[in-house]
Amino acid sequence: MFTCKDSVDLLLEYLEGEMPEEQAKRLEEHLGDCPPCVDFLRTYRATPTLCKRALQKQMPEELSQRLTDFLRQNCKKT
Amino acid sequence: MPEQVDVDLDRELLTQAQGGDLPAFEALVERHRDKVYSVALRMTRSEADAAEIVQETFLSAYQHLPEFRGEAAFGSWVHRIAANHALMRLRHRGVVQAAEEELKTPEFNERGSWADYPASDWSRRADEKVLDAELGQAIQQAVDRLPNEYRDVFVLRDLEGLSYEQIGEITGDSVPAIKSRLHRARLAMRETIDRFYNEQ
Repeated sequence: MFTCKDSVDLLLEYLEGEMPEEQAKRLEEHLGDCPPCVDFLRTYRATPTLCKRALQKQMPEELSQRLTDFLRQNCKKT
Repeated sequence: MPEQVDVDLDRELLTQAQGGDLPAFEALVERHRDKVYSVALRMTRSEADAAEIVQETFLSAYQHLPEFRGEAAFGSWVHRIAANHALMRLRHRGVVQAAEEELKTPEFNERGSWADYPASDWSRRADEKVLDAELGQAIQQAVDRLPNEYRDVFVLRDLEGLSYEQIGEITGDSVPAIKSRLHRARLAMRETIDRFYNEQ
């Protein structure tokens, strides 16, 4: 029987569908009996989405202009 | 399918740029500069470095246009150039980084069960339209605290969507090592978000 620690250790492999079938079945048995691990799985899976949203950055307008000027000047030389 | 349209337009612009059409290259730059800036900023955490990396990346892309055969998408190609430039800078700078042991991971008792019962499932909040500004700040600080080799993998995989193989080409690490770091980085980031929602 898998423990909560086992299930957390194996989450990445499980969510990417790379786990052997037998092991995935044992993990799912554990999840079926363990609501905290299900909550953990959901929040682990949501983490990249939230981080991506929080860290989206647009290039400042002034930098974009500098980039255009830089490339116009240097691309001509090559 | 918008993504396919994007890739097709990139291919068209790329062919024109390879034929010496500078405005076509500028159009490619305009389409990809935000993402290139973003990856450089996330990896170096310096606006000045990120600005220089964007310039180096697109100049290098321009100089190597004739060799680019288009097996990969233009976007992935410039991403990888930017990530390489960022890594070179970080290695050259030899930044003092957080120790690996400082990465927050869940705690279990001797039977392998939760020491603390996870308090709430906030996963649905990831879809909320407006992201809390304080949460955004907490996430930024947590990414900054990740040791470099963990942050690089987390940024390249989870934020930029590169494959494990592409990350391996950039960092020189094996796929199992990359996966192991990604898992620990994700656990640390999850802890930060969990603390935010549970302390509110």
